[in-house]
Amino acid sequence: MREPTFLILTALAEGPRHGYGILQEVETVSKGRVRLLPGTLYTALDRLAAEGLVAHERDERVEGRLRRYYRLTADGSAALEAEATRLQQLATAARARLRAYRPATS
Amino acid sequence: MGSLDRRYRRLLRAYPPAYRRVRGEELLGVLMDATPPGRDRPAFRAAANLVRHGLRARLGRPASRTVVMWATLTAVICGLFTAAVATRLAWETGRPMPDRAETTAILAEVAPEHRFTDVQVSPALFTFYSQRVRLGDLDAILFPDGGEYEQSSGTANATGTPPMPAAAAVGTAEARLREAGWHVYSRSVEAYDGCTDKMCAVTATITTTSVEARRGDTLFQLSVTDPRIDPEVPYLSVGLRRTTPPAVLPAGVAGGLLGAALGWLLFGWASRRTEGQVAPRLCLAATLLLWWTPAVLAGPAMLVHHLHEPHPVWHPLWEWLGQPALAIFFAAGTVSALLGLAMSVAQSGAGAPATRKVG
Repeated sequence: MREPTFLILTALAEGPRHGYGILQEVETVSKGRVRLLPGTLYTALDRLAAEGLVAHERDERVEGRLRRYYRLTADGSAALEAEATRLQQLATAARARLRAYRPATS
Repeated sequence: MGSLDRRYRRLLRAYPPAYRRVRGEELLGVLMDATPPGRDRPAFRAAANLVRHGLRARLGRPASRTVVMWATLTAVICGLFTAAVATRLAWETGRPMPDRAETTAILAEVAPEHRFTDVQVSPALFTFYSQRVRLGDLDAILFPDGGEYEQSSGTANATGTPPMPAAAAVGTAEARLREAGWHVYSRSVEAYDGCTDKMCAVTATITTTSVEARRGDTLFQLSVTDPRIDPEVPYLSVGLRRTTPPAVLPAGVAGGLLGAALGWLLFGWASRRTEGQVAPRLCLAATLLLWWTPAVLAGPAMLVHHLHEPHPVWHPLWEWLGQPALAIFFAAGTVSALLGLAMSVAQSGAGAPATRKVG
């Protein structure tokens, strides 16, 4: 799973968001490191919708602008959980090796 | 509607119409929200991002990880074929082949010592079996003689007793060419072991020395064979061709870009209408195989050929694509492509799945 996809699913994990809300949440989650552009976001949303990982929730109109909300599906939640577990396992393995390596160089 | 809004709407035209109908307003809202206040035009990065993803959306199949590759292969080969057509049309902007008067004048200027008894003037820039292409030749060009369609050359042969040794003939010709303002290229020499008599009792190394020169839009080639085994065979041959007109390169680039863009758009249109169907995919696979195979075979071979011999005039683009030598492949691929497009036309046009699901 590519990082932008992971971040979009993470952004939706707390609840439904509209497109601009997803962009803002991705930037927050990545601490400013990842700033998705709208074109990239909507290609990803199209793909995730086709894969059944996200779905349309509802529409709202705010100050004349259409806001379409997306939510994580059960499959999306499971995919995010699986990827988070995988990344955590990799991070744990990396940290363990770093701790074992450091005493030899100090 | 402000100027920023108008500019974003213009960029959103990269997306297909059905997609814009369903998602356009939503996308525009996000774009306006995401743009820092005070800007009246999109940032270049944002604009490029929209165009790039709009072109992706035109392919449909949002979950596919290979559709971009197929679209690219289609666009590139369409671009190459249209570039080849454009270059052929652009060749007509050049002068016609040298006529008899021009040929005779050049021979008198460059090789007055030699007696040319067989002067052949070519009827067209490109000929089929040395003749102008006629409608009736098309079936033979299609299969199996497409390779005989080639850039033509006017010829002149010198027979009889050579007035000077072969080496002197070449050197004298080079000097006269330079005096007359021709740019003379390096000589090329080919040698092979040949028979000196019909029984091949004695062999000798036969050398053909060739000189090429260019003046303006005319290419001159002179070849001398030594030793001359058969006195009936010419000892010196001259060829005259036209060089590639200046319009050919820009025509090829423009034609190629236009063809690639149309190929991408047509692929996308068909892809969106035929998602989930097997038969159109098979048609596409057959088309790409039939169109790319000649290019993949001919391109590298042509490159090796060009590197091996000096080429003041490169072979035309269509020969690099294996055409029309393998025109039967192109024709079969075209039939397959038309079949696939016919299947696309027959669809009801439900639009991209993402638009269906979200809408």
